[in-house]
Amino acid sequence: MRARLLLCGFLMCLLAWPAVSWGQDAVVVYSSVDEENAKKLLDAFTKATNIKVRFTFLSSGPAVARIEAEKNNPQADLWFGAPSENHVALKEKGLSQAYVSPNAKELAAKFKDPDGYWTSFYMNPLGFASNLTVLKQKSAEPPTSWADLLKPEFKSQIQIPSPQTSGTGYNMVAALVLIMGEEKAFDYLKKLNPNVQTYTQSGTAPSKAAAIGQAGVGIQFTPAFLQLMGEGYPLKVTFPKEGVGFEAPAISILKGAPRVELAKKLLDWFITIPGQNALTDAKTFFFPVHPKAKLMEGLPAFDQIPTINYDAVWAGKEKKRLVDRWINEVLRAQK
Amino acid sequence: MADPFSQWKHRTIHDLRRLRNEPILAVAVAAIFGLLLLFIVYPLIRVFAVSFIPDGAPTLRLYREFLGGWFIRQALLNSVVMGVLTAVGGTLIGFLFAFALTRTDIPGKPLLTAAAILPIISPPFVSALSIILLFGNNGLITRQLLGFQEFAIYGLRGLLLSQVFTFFPVAYLTLRGVLESLGGTLEDAAMNLGATRWKAFWRVTLPLCLPGIASALLVLFIESIADFGNPLILGGSGFPVLSVQVYLQVTGMYDLPGGAALAVILLVPSVTAFLVQRYWVARKRYVTVTGKPTRAVLKVVSPATQWVLFAACTAVALFVLLFYATILVGAFSKAWGVDHSPTLRNFGYVFGVGAQAITDTLVIAVTSSPLAGLLGMGIAFLVMRRRFPGREAMEFISILNFAVPGTVIGIGYILAFNQKPLLLTGTALILIANFLFRYIPVGIQSGTAVLRQIDPAIEEAATNLGATTQTTFRRITLPLLVPAFFSGLVFSFVRAMTAISAAIFLVSADWNLMTVQILSQTEAGRLGAAAAFSVLLILIIMAAIGLIRLILGRIFDYRYQATFG
Repeated sequence: MRARLLLCGFLMCLLAWPAVSWGQDAVVVYSSVDEENAKKLLDAFTKATNIKVRFTFLSSGPAVARIEAEKNNPQADLWFGAPSENHVALKEKGLSQAYVSPNAKELAAKFKDPDGYWTSFYMNPLGFASNLTVLKQKSAEPPTSWADLLKPEFKSQIQIPSPQTSGTGYNMVAALVLIMGEEKAFDYLKKLNPNVQTYTQSGTAPSKAAAIGQAGVGIQFTPAFLQLMGEGYPLKVTFPKEGVGFEAPAISILKGAPRVELAKKLLDWFITIPGQNALTDAKTFFFPVHPKAKLMEGLPAFDQIPTINYDAVWAGKEKKRLVDRWINEVLRAQK
Repeated sequence: MADPFSQWKHRTIHDLRRLRNEPILAVAVAAIFGLLLLFIVYPLIRVFAVSFIPDGAPTLRLYREFLGGWFIRQALLNSVVMGVLTAVGGTLIGFLFAFALTRTDIPGKPLLTAAAILPIISPPFVSALSIILLFGNNGLITRQLLGFQEFAIYGLRGLLLSQVFTFFPVAYLTLRGVLESLGGTLEDAAMNLGATRWKAFWRVTLPLCLPGIASALLVLFIESIADFGNPLILGGSGFPVLSVQVYLQVTGMYDLPGGAALAVILLVPSVTAFLVQRYWVARKRYVTVTGKPTRAVLKVVSPATQWVLFAACTAVALFVLLFYATILVGAFSKAWGVDHSPTLRNFGYVFGVGAQAITDTLVIAVTSSPLAGLLGMGIAFLVMRRRFPGREAMEFISILNFAVPGTVIGIGYILAFNQKPLLLTGTALILIANFLFRYIPVGIQSGTAVLRQIDPAIEEAATNLGATTQTTFRRITLPLLVPAFFSGLVFSFVRAMTAISAAIFLVSADWNLMTVQILSQTEAGRLGAAAAFSVLLILIIMAAIGLIRLILGRIFDYRYQATFG
């Protein structure tokens, strides 16, 4: 009898739970910015505006899958972070809504959708991270160009995210196509195959492999490199002189967002100067997109990095074709 | 002789009549069927529907595209190869442990037992990192100990290493159960009749174990091809497997219908193995528990062999130890793998940023696992001891999810439960339901196994001695079911704490999980924090298992050998 009572109580608690989450007026965010940085940035927003935020970390793929599956009844108001080409895809799937923030006029054209479906709020260049201990054993110098990566001393020493699975990997392929032209870029990638230890599934795996000495060189966006260097790993970051792409993570307001006014305020704030300075104050290693925002100490000035004029909209449109070509020509030729 | 259909009709009508006289049974059966259809069948139907009707009209386009391309065919082949090799390797090691621990007097049995079940608790992502730190290019074992300059960890080799390590405990538990219930008496008899030790092993022990071995092989095959954490990190791009492609199609290409179609393709080998296991192997059990003494007098193992077995088990156990030590070191180090000066910084971080996820995970695991244990036990009891129409169907549906990869279930759940009146997304309920219905199969399997082995005559005897049906159930059947309840409970608890593939689609702003935190921390490059989360996860699970054993032991005076998994 007592057991039955306990069970009943238990089930009652179960039913009561969802009720706890109702009735709070907080903007709900799917964040592809990692947990800690997202928390710091969104806390800064709450402090400045008194608007409460509740967020869930989802890397970019699961985030889009979630938003798509929930489209008939959106749970979240906006998607925070993930490079802009993902937001292009979101726009094309009809899952986001247009909003041109009055503050967006300060931003360069490459940082916003012409129709206002997404707005970038920070950026990161792609870079090489070399493990100095490993390279010393191989008597190799940290690479400073794409051509350097073809050197025989890097045989099976380079980790690159797979463009099939990671936005970072695709960013690299698309940038190479822009720099070299498509045929030469694919020739280059095929020649690079013997030096590639593995194409990782996650966009941030190369930095970890380089940090622990599994790989000599990892290629990805720089914040995780800088984070790992801060933790004490023997890495050195270099940029290829022919040029690199960059990511410009963005904010999209979701179609049917239940709290659209709050979502707009969040977007507005993150592209103001105080919002942009929060990137630096929170030690995120992210570069601000507002030309007048302050830059974190130790970060190279963005114009010192040979970034190309990366076109996220073009890259988004070409993605399926280029990735298929990569699978059929580059991946298939591997080993 | 009536044809099968009219036989079936006759039986069903007969069962339905009986049900009318047992209203409680009828209500229970209807309720359980309702739940199973809602939380297992309906989400799967949604996934199927999306894959066959991607743009509003029924088509096989997606299937034609995928099966026509080399890449997916290669991935399917790789999955099967990986599944077979993992099954063989895992079953071998599992048998080695089960045999050594039940048939010999080797020293250190408690430690070896712990080593044989500990790998069930391997935290996602961090485990793969630990393997790389031990066996990679710069690995402790491969480079420092064995002096390899290059050791290709990515691909089939690394994957097998980690999968065999992760899954051999499942084989061990199955085979240990088989060897224990066999007892040593038959081997004694063979040797008394003049057989040598080898002969007794080859002609008696091994043949009697074959159904158990076949069952372990198939279960490992299913687990291996559904696994996604290990191949995601260690498979690399050179060895694509289907379970990872399902995930990537959805999360990398934003192609939900395509992912669903790949999932359906993956279901083919996995459900085939599952059906073989259920309807062919499971039928071939030789063993029943009769209550007669089964203690062996002689030993089937010679002292020399015993030491060989001991050495082999110790080697595997050392590997297990090393694996967990690596994670432990990482949790207390400044820079895992490079700078091992001790620090508590990682734990400070975990309790700061991750406090909410820790309580959420606990609340969800503590809620879902007793429910999974109870439901599993209830279904096992109904299926084995009561007659009602749809009995086979109930058993089949309730363990079907075991063969379905987590990603598919996760997507099925958001497709199925994001609209009124079934609006569950964003709540704890959706996570609880997911864990509950995904992990009941273990409780059911062990429940039916227990009940199959126990002669209903034992229950009938109690009734004949004057006990009422309720007393019989409470005093006889229930205590016999406790070990099954225990394994169902522990397994679902462990999985609720460590699983990620389905949960990643179901976490929300209010309800987050530690595994998702581990993913987020490894992604961001805070390896120490990820290791600290993992250590905490392992400690919580071990404490919980201890607590569950203690409580069940108190209530039921339960002294069975602990089985879990």
